[in-house]
Amino acid sequence: MPVAWPDKDDSELLALVQHGSHPAFTALVERHTEQFYRLAFRFLQNRAAAEDVVQDAFLKLWEDPGKWQPDKNSKFTTWFYRVVVNLCLDWQKRKRPLELNEDMPLVEERATADQAMLHHEEKNILEQAIAALPERQRTALNLCFDEGVSNQEAADIMGINLKALQSLLMRAKTTLKKRLKIYL
Amino acid sequence: MSQHEDEKLDAILRSRRTEAPSSDLAARIIFKAQGRAQVQNVSLWQSLRQVLVDLHLPKPAYVLAATLILGIVLGFSTAPSNDSTTDLYSASAQAFLDDEGLL
Repeated sequence: MPVAWPDKDDSELLALVQHGSHPAFTALVERHTEQFYRLAFRFLQNRAAAEDVVQDAFLKLWEDPGKWQPDKNSKFTTWFYRVVVNLCLDWQKRKRPLELNEDMPLVEERATADQAMLHHEEKNILEQAIAALPERQRTALNLCFDEGVSNQEAADIMGINLKALQSLLMRAKTTLKKRLKIYL
Repeated sequence: MSQHEDEKLDAILRSRRTEAPSSDLAARIIFKAQGRAQVQNVSLWQSLRQVLVDLHLPKPAYVLAATLILGIVLGFSTAPSNDSTTDLYSASAQAFLDDEGLL
């Protein structure tokens, strides 16, 4: 009787991957690719780059699955989010985004803020404002507004406590509110 | 900062666009992994065994090496030692040569 790979949990699959099981790796990739891609896209705002990062992360996992140790890391996803975040930050360092001038007006005045936010250009402005945040604030924001990641898990991923994470979030939001004042 | 602004900013952040990934992203990753070997984390004993396997020699070479080692060990173990019997023999030979005027 064939083993139902999707029914196995992540740590069971990882144990099999550590013994060279391709079907287990396949199940793991199929289960998590979209979720990690979504996070990578939030960081990079570029589909090809986000796909490359997720692919790199999974291939590194395949080549050296022993890097994940169940005793040290309670959850595979927490550990793997960290891997993906680090790869995204490395990618961003290699290709720095445009620096925003603090004095530069970010938006034009519009009649209604809701309508304005629908506009593609203004969405880009939101992304630019997020990209201009300090690295840790940006990471906290991207993790906490990603579906399925709780604040506690985001704190674990970043290796900080919950209060520190909330502080980073608050500072990030304060900066964004100043920059996006016209929409709020 | 008002509560209203906070709520609105949260809504904006939650509505950030995400482009869907390529439909074959997972398949691509799986395919690429099939062509790659895994890093083997081997123990010291396993790595030593691997070295022996890599340095495989024909059996006569091991026999020759073992014979040489045995010869060296036996040679050292049977070498003349400086015990009292040897000293007495040397002393009497010296005395004989002195008496005979050979020295």
